[in-house]
Amino acid sequence: MKKLYLHPMAVRICHWLNAFSFLVLILTGIQIRYRDVIKVTSFRTAVDIHNIFGFILIFNFFLWLIYYLVSGKFKVYIPTFSLKGFLLGCIRQARYYGYGIFVGEENPHHSTPDNKFNPMQQVAYLNIMVLFIPLQIITGILLWDLKGFAYWIGLAGGVKIVDSVHVLLYLFFTSFLFVHVYLATLGHTAGEHIKAMFTGYEEVPEHGHSH
Amino acid sequence: MSRFYDEVVVASGTSPDMSPDKCGRADHEAPLTDDSQTRFQKIRTAGIFVLGPLSGLLFICLLPLMSLLIVVTLLSKMASASDGMQSEEAAMCMGCHASQDVVKTFGNKEKMSVRISERHFKDSVHGFLSCTGCHSKVSMDNHPSAQYASRKEFAVQISQACKGCHSHEQLMVKPMHRAAISRSNAPPCSECHGSHSIRKSAGWKEAASTSQYCLTCHKKDLSTSVNGETLSLMIDEKLLRGSVHSSHECSYCHSEYSKTTHPLREFKNKRELSIAFSGVCKGCHTDKYQQHQGSIHASLLNQGNRNAPVCTDCHGAHAVGPKLLAETMSGTPCRKCHESTFEAYKSSVHGQAKMSGNTKAPICSSCHSAHQVMPALASRSPKATCFGCHKDAAALHKEWLPNADLHLDAIACTACHVPEAEHTVYLRVTDSSSGASINKAKLKEYLGPGYDDLTSAGKNGLDDKHLWTVYQQLGDKKSAAGITGTLGLQDCNKSHSLASKKWAVKQCDSCHDANSKFFKTVAMAIIAPDGHEEHYAVNRAVLGSVITLLPINQFYAIGGTRLRFLDILGILMVFGGMSVPIVHLTLRFLTIPIREAKRLNKLRREGRR
Repeated sequence: MKKLYLHPMAVRICHWLNAFSFLVLILTGIQIRYRDVIKVTSFRTAVDIHNIFGFILIFNFFLWLIYYLVSGKFKVYIPTFSLKGFLLGCIRQARYYGYGIFVGEENPHHSTPDNKFNPMQQVAYLNIMVLFIPLQIITGILLWDLKGFAYWIGLAGGVKIVDSVHVLLYLFFTSFLFVHVYLATLGHTAGEHIKAMFTGYEEVPEHGHSH
Repeated sequence: MSRFYDEVVVASGTSPDMSPDKCGRADHEAPLTDDSQTRFQKIRTAGIFVLGPLSGLLFICLLPLMSLLIVVTLLSKMASASDGMQSEEAAMCMGCHASQDVVKTFGNKEKMSVRISERHFKDSVHGFLSCTGCHSKVSMDNHPSAQYASRKEFAVQISQACKGCHSHEQLMVKPMHRAAISRSNAPPCSECHGSHSIRKSAGWKEAASTSQYCLTCHKKDLSTSVNGETLSLMIDEKLLRGSVHSSHECSYCHSEYSKTTHPLREFKNKRELSIAFSGVCKGCHTDKYQQHQGSIHASLLNQGNRNAPVCTDCHGAHAVGPKLLAETMSGTPCRKCHESTFEAYKSSVHGQAKMSGNTKAPICSSCHSAHQVMPALASRSPKATCFGCHKDAAALHKEWLPNADLHLDAIACTACHVPEAEHTVYLRVTDSSSGASINKAKLKEYLGPGYDDLTSAGKNGLDDKHLWTVYQQLGDKKSAAGITGTLGLQDCNKSHSLASKKWAVKQCDSCHDANSKFFKTVAMAIIAPDGHEEHYAVNRAVLGSVITLLPINQFYAIGGTRLRFLDILGILMVFGGMSVPIVHLTLRFLTIPIREAKRLNKLRREGRR
């Protein structure tokens, strides 16, 4: 077994701040939207907390963006420019999750600090970090001050559309959270990836296995 | 009557007998002597010569005087022959009619004193007449006790006597008489002129003001019939004098009437008369009249609702009170027609303040304006009106209400400040740039036959598909019209029951909950030609329908009117996300033997090696 320093401190802080914000935003989101189903806090409290953590998430997003752009690590999110190579990589990774993992095959991807994500992760996280989260941030800010951003809301097609986009992304993030956490357990051991997200170091077999 | 009595005295007095025959006979009866006879004869002769010519001269001089005296006496005798009867009659009549205690009771139990004021009658134009001159059925021998149903009927019957001297043709010459007696229920003469104290009009008409002249008749209990409806013509002088128009003469408003003119005007009914006479107000109050012309009241009137209020309905005709009076609880005229609304107002925070003596507290006209009363539009927030007084309302709401401006735009003030009332979401087709409602005529033009779909959706109301069709049709016309929504009250009247702000809805949960009672009904509000709003039922499901994502893209309460489609999608997505690890873990569990076998094979291969 060898130790790989996969997650620098800044990344770990960003991750856990993000994780906690997401969790709070999802839970307060339930309180804001589904009050007829579950009522733990008042609408007002839920909105206030949602707003605070929304801004924490925005702050964190920019920390992440600056860190990744300045450090040059952003390339870990960029899939290979070769379409064939990307597609083959995706198929290979999908085959692993859909078949190989059950029959004891090795994960075709081996994480290194410079090549952290497999092609499927790359396309998923790139979309999440560059498209979905910014879109969620924008729609969130618009909903935060509907009157102030009335012009932009009008351009977007109305408050109902803005909110629908926000809710669709909210539902996506919520459902993705289950997949994300599950995938995090598919390391060398079930807790390996999670532990690495705290310590920064991941223990990998000498021949290098990863999810 | 004293004239009668004077004449009675003249007629019944005895004149002293002054005939020369009786004096002469007394002289002849005295005894006489010769000397004395001679002396007497001398004197007699001298007397004859002196007194004869003197007597002749005297006779000649006195003859015309005597003749005049005889003529006067004869005339006096002739006159006293009839006057003597009148006086007797008058004395007899006054024997009873001078008493205060003689009272006549009519069929309807009305009582009337039959006392005659001798002095007033003497001063009247009829002072030369005898009682029976008018009361021809009554004489010294006969005093029938006629029965009359009422005082009025008595007056009508007795006034017939006037015609004996004053012919119909003679009366019709004067416009006032023509106006009065041309009516089917013309008032009896005595109604205006009185009965026993009638004065000649020429004596006082000139000196009287126009109002005094008019009130001569019109302060009496006069009435007329307008197509079967009784119209009182009586003007309460006290109220008139107390009105804001007290300094105006009658003809100031009733310009076609004066001391010399009194045209007869015909009206279909009393209401038409009121409407016509209200037109005179614009002569002075032009601005108010024009404001009224732009009001819902004038609009209704012009459309044929003749009961819609005109000037006199609110201000009265003659007892026009000051403006301040109309701003009091008892003086506001609106309550006459809008009683239920006024009751709601009375219970409101405004009404309570007014009743407690706060003169600044608003009343009907404070919000609705006095003359340019606009139709109550349930779909519109009265924000501008409320903020007219509550200038800090926007700032106060911002202190605690997130997105306060948006809330204040989309929700009528009354929706939160009348917490007990039922709510409705009003949809309106509006001009996207100005925000003004598209009226019925324009909407019909835009939608064509599709307009009927909008208004005849039936009990369940317009559904989302039809709303989408409407939206498409509006878009096809490039009309720049959109559909906007506002939360208001179902019943306009309830808007007046504004509660104290401590009772206002403040809990966000009241709206931002799918079970909110605020979104139970939805209606389409269309502005009718008279400015009123017509409401057509819309199925409440449209608020949460994905089809209305574009048509109703502006009205949205997070949680309260959320899209049902996203609920279903959300369940699928979340369960989908959860199923990934569950299914994958299950498969991993089921495939443990495969991996175990593979591991053993590998170990075996490594062992062989």
